[in-house]
Amino acid sequence: MKTFFLTIWSGYVRLTARWPSIGSIAPFIPLIAAWWIITELQIFPRVFLPGPVDVVRSFGTLVYTGILPEYLQDSMVRLVVGAFWGIVLGIPLGIFIGLSPRAHTVLWPPLLFFQAIGDIAWLPILVIWFGYGLTTMTVIIVYTVIFPVVLNTVLGVRSTSITLHRAALSLGASRARLLWEVVLPGALPNIITGLRNGLGYGWRALIATEIIVGTSGIGFLMFDARRGGSLVEVLLGMIILGILWYIVDAWILAPLERATGQRWGLVTQ
Amino acid sequence: MGVGDAVKNLVIRNLSKTYFDVYAGTQVTAVRDVSLNVPESEFISIVGPSGCGKSTILNMIAGFIPHSSGEILVGGKPVNGPGPDRGVVFQSFALFPWRTVLENVAFGPKMRGVGKVEREKIAHEFLALAKLSEAAGRYPNELSGGMQQRVGVARALANEPDVLLMDEPFASVDAQTRMTLQEELTRIWEAKRPTVIFITHDVAEAVFLANRVVALSKGKVLDEIEVDLPRPRVWDDLHENEQFKSLTARVLQLVRSA
Repeated sequence: MKTFFLTIWSGYVRLTARWPSIGSIAPFIPLIAAWWIITELQIFPRVFLPGPVDVVRSFGTLVYTGILPEYLQDSMVRLVVGAFWGIVLGIPLGIFIGLSPRAHTVLWPPLLFFQAIGDIAWLPILVIWFGYGLTTMTVIIVYTVIFPVVLNTVLGVRSTSITLHRAALSLGASRARLLWEVVLPGALPNIITGLRNGLGYGWRALIATEIIVGTSGIGFLMFDARRGGSLVEVLLGMIILGILWYIVDAWILAPLERATGQRWGLVTQ
Repeated sequence: MGVGDAVKNLVIRNLSKTYFDVYAGTQVTAVRDVSLNVPESEFISIVGPSGCGKSTILNMIAGFIPHSSGEILVGGKPVNGPGPDRGVVFQSFALFPWRTVLENVAFGPKMRGVGKVEREKIAHEFLALAKLSEAAGRYPNELSGGMQQRVGVARALANEPDVLLMDEPFASVDAQTRMTLQEELTRIWEAKRPTVIFITHDVAEAVFLANRVVALSKGKVLDEIEVDLPRPRVWDDLHENEQFKSLTARVLQLVRSA
């Protein structure tokens, strides 16, 4: 019996090694099956827990009417804009704090203070300052993305061995070249980790913000559906959030991490 | 060739290093009034126990830390911070993990503004000298410790420094590899004749490699011993060599008696 399961397992491992996409999809099959069975058995009323078929049907309708592609695009654009500014501001700030002990002494405590004030805690004041719109949402996402990026960049810069700085300088590198040739690549694995965390938090913050101040986007879609009493779209929104993040993480961020830190032996695989 | 046309020598006059120990609350003297004269193409070893100040001396020559008093002249010019006229080989190798072996060795010429084709030619030449040609495209973490340090030596030499500073470079590789690296280093030295300052706590290593051994203890030079053993030097010959044995014994006695 044990060998029988092991044979199946080894077959599965070999299959997913050959087609990695199967490995991404297969674990969800029992989950969806369970969901489907539970809803078919009518343990909970349909209104409280719609089934997979309803969600797929609603997906079709929303794509057909063009609402879903539009909302999806809105959410993605907001995330990209927010992430862009988070990176552009966060990495230089992190390098500065990481390199300068004085800057570290002065800036570290306020950094931790503001990190503790969660993104959503800023919403009431931001709504008064910037109103309901893109500015408020962008500020929230930048705010969310920037802390993990800064904190991890500082960690990366500080964990790069002083000996590598010395090696570069005694090979003739100028201070500016040192930044590009040693400090930045040395911190890169940490920067990517920070980005991975930051985008994960940013994505969640975006949805929360859309629920509260949005007029479009996936978060708005979910909240609007709840107002209409239709849980189908709420579930659909949740599933889309999961899938989108999975794609960003597994297809962009994780390969980036493998190509840098792991390749160079800076992080254990 | 080289970075400058100056004579590739090193002169140290009355060098001292004192610093304030914040925990002990006292002034500590790590290096006391050291004077050394290393002519071009000489290989000297500085040997002494841990904490004798030998690494401090090397770090001051390299310009990594400032000296408190005295003078350090490389090719006649006073040392002021790190620079490409002094190549350094580190105990921890200090290779750039994100660069291939070839790019590591080509790093110095790249900083000098040498074009890609030319600097890769230089790098290949020095990789061949260090018997590393087949590792050119690999990353440092894919190599053994011994191979990594060969890259370290090739990288420092490819920049054609006036003086090569080696800070216990073979202390973190296994004993067999260390002997091979020591023989390789004497071979490379004979081929290129760089001026070398070699720091070590291993008396046999100091004698094996150098033309002259400087014995150091408590930040002071105890004595300098000329080593006129024939070259090329290989361990198989020297193990039973009476002159080698007596020189080693003399240095050991010096260092231990202090």
